Amino acid sequence: MKIGIPRSLLYYYYYPFWQTLFAELGNEVVVSDPTSGDQLNEGVKESVSEICVPMKVHIGQVLNLLEKGVDLIYIPRFVSIRRGITFCPKFLGLPDMIKNSIAAVRGKILTHEIRAKTDDISAYKNYTIFRDIFRVSKGELKKALEAARQNWLKFRALQQEGYKTEKLLLGEKEKREEGLLKIGVLGYVYNLYDRFINMDFLDRLEELGAKIVTFEMLDGDIVDRFIKNLRKPMFWEFTNRLMAAGYHFINSADIDGIIHITAFGCGPDSILGPFLEIDAGQKNKPFMTLRIDEQTGESHLITRIEAFLDLLKLKKRSDIA
Amino acid sequence: MSRVYIGVDIGSVSINIVAIGEDCELLFRLYKRNTGQPVELVKEGFKELQKELGAKKEIAGVGVTGSGRQLIGYVLGADIVKNEITAHAAATTFYYPEVGTIFEIGGQDSKLIIIKNGIPVDFAMNTVCAAGTGSFLDHQAIRLGIRIEEFGKLALQAKRDVRIAGRCTVFAESDMISKQQYGFTKPEIIKGLCRALVRNYMNNLVRGKQLEPQYIFQGGVAANEGIKAAFEEELNHEVIVPEHHDVMGAIGIAILVKEEMERTGRGTSFRGLDFTRDDFYTDSFNCAGCANECEIIRVKANEEVIAMTGDRCGKWSGSILNVRDSEEKHA
Repeated sequence: MKIGIPRSLLYYYYYPFWQTLFAELGNEVVVSDPTSGDQLNEGVKESVSEICVPMKVHIGQVLNLLEKGVDLIYIPRFVSIRRGITFCPKFLGLPDMIKNSIAAVRGKILTHEIRAKTDDISAYKNYTIFRDIFRVSKGELKKALEAARQNWLKFRALQQEGYKTEKLLLGEKEKREEGLLKIGVLGYVYNLYDRFINMDFLDRLEELGAKIVTFEMLDGDIVDRFIKNLRKPMFWEFTNRLMAAGYHFINSADIDGIIHITAFGCGPDSILGPFLEIDAGQKNKPFMTLRIDEQTGESHLITRIEAFLDLLKLKKRSDIA
Repeated sequence: MSRVYIGVDIGSVSINIVAIGEDCELLFRLYKRNTGQPVELVKEGFKELQKELGAKKEIAGVGVTGSGRQLIGYVLGADIVKNEITAHAAATTFYYPEVGTIFEIGGQDSKLIIIKNGIPVDFAMNTVCAAGTGSFLDHQAIRLGIRIEEFGKLALQAKRDVRIAGRCTVFAESDMISKQQYGFTKPEIIKGLCRALVRNYMNNLVRGKQLEPQYIFQGGVAANEGIKAAFEEELNHEVIVPEHHDVMGAIGIAILVKEEMERTGRGTSFRGLDFTRDDFYTDSFNCAGCANECEIIRVKANEEVIAMTGDRCGKWSGSILNVRDSEEKHA
């Protein structure tokens, strides 16, 4: 079978897992084309107007896969990968939203619930429906899941060694650039690595001489320990991870500044943002929020990045003097 | 021959050109409304500059800032092309070393810059809404049938306060119409608008940030005494409007290019004053390289392509040496 995977949302975190899993089960894996203007326009047409831009991108990606003529489109329902913590409601309802937004996709969605204790999502119990769909034995499925897990762990390890996520996903290995300024960049993977919606934000930062650190590059223990020790963690998995990374950056002397990149209208980020902004201010750590949306002007983004880096350079110069 | 440094600020509403000398003294200043043809306006501006400064000055550096900085940077062969936040901060800290807060309101942008010990430490810019900017005031002045230059003075004549919604231009306008229908006078409406604009600024940009004096108010809108008064009322503190408030961005970029040239000791890449005789021409085409179909803007000088921009992948812009802030790579 031809299994379509939308190049959006958790593709940027789990693609190595999914790719191996479906290939091991004897399928051809098709990924939708990188986000483009046309594709997003199509996505916007089929979306409810108030959802965030990454969701609109996702709908555009699903439409793109339909055009490619795949047999099934994989849209899992991520419920939880940590005890007591769930995903943003849009993830919880994702398969239903897609089904009800795009008539032509009915009957072509491959979905099931993901419930796990960690971000290792390879537990067999989540995938039992795969046995009938792909006509495989329990043993074969378990073997495929283990292979997927191994490949994903390798990907996670390379991220932590400082290889660029956006390159690893394409099967390339390239280390993050070194730079004069070390910038902690906070953002969900689907905002960080979709070059179209963030207007090449990471490349631009690197061109201007920044060394980028993101949450997936941190040691998993830092994140887990932080979330465990929170008196009141937030409800959403990746928001907690960003919060952990954010506080780690705030308290790291070698981080020159923090940029939070967020999609216009993101509910969880509307709570996360002020926490970080206030505490970064108290610790004297420069902090900037960048908002992205369908129609954000590029010049605004560049002006902000440039001005922020200028500010950090001046600060560094005066700290040394 | 003494050296001068030129600063050019290409804003959405105005185009400003200044020249400063070796002690940063202002030798020339020009504020022009941007009528939509920045290249022609810059050419005219440089002719005026040439006339005023005479032949005894050597142009030792050119810097460009403002939202239209990229194109004019190419046209002039600028030494630095920098964002307007950095430029504004440079000018203000030069004139007012004690500054704590800069309010800058231009044609389509409003900015807040926070300075500590002479160094910018934080900034904010209006995001998805232009309700609190110069264009908004322009538009409302036209609606009320008064000249924008008189707008501020009229506000000071108001006898009563009228509350006008400042959150959004569309709502402000409908609010204004209904208040007019209730019989409030023009000065009262205008004062209400000024206060609405400041309230909007406080809500969107300041957002609870701690502000410290001196408060410096600059940008085109700073000419408006009504807004200045509304800021003072809001802060309960004096707000200073610099003498050259309308060209501070240009002064700032001139100061920055002066520092840059003196620090690096390199020669200017300025095309020379003869550029006013060149023909600059911009066209565009859609790149068919991928599904993004970027619109590529091509800048030509006398039929020679001097810059290309607008591509997401760098295929076109990379094919020509870009004007680039050298400081970024060599700092």
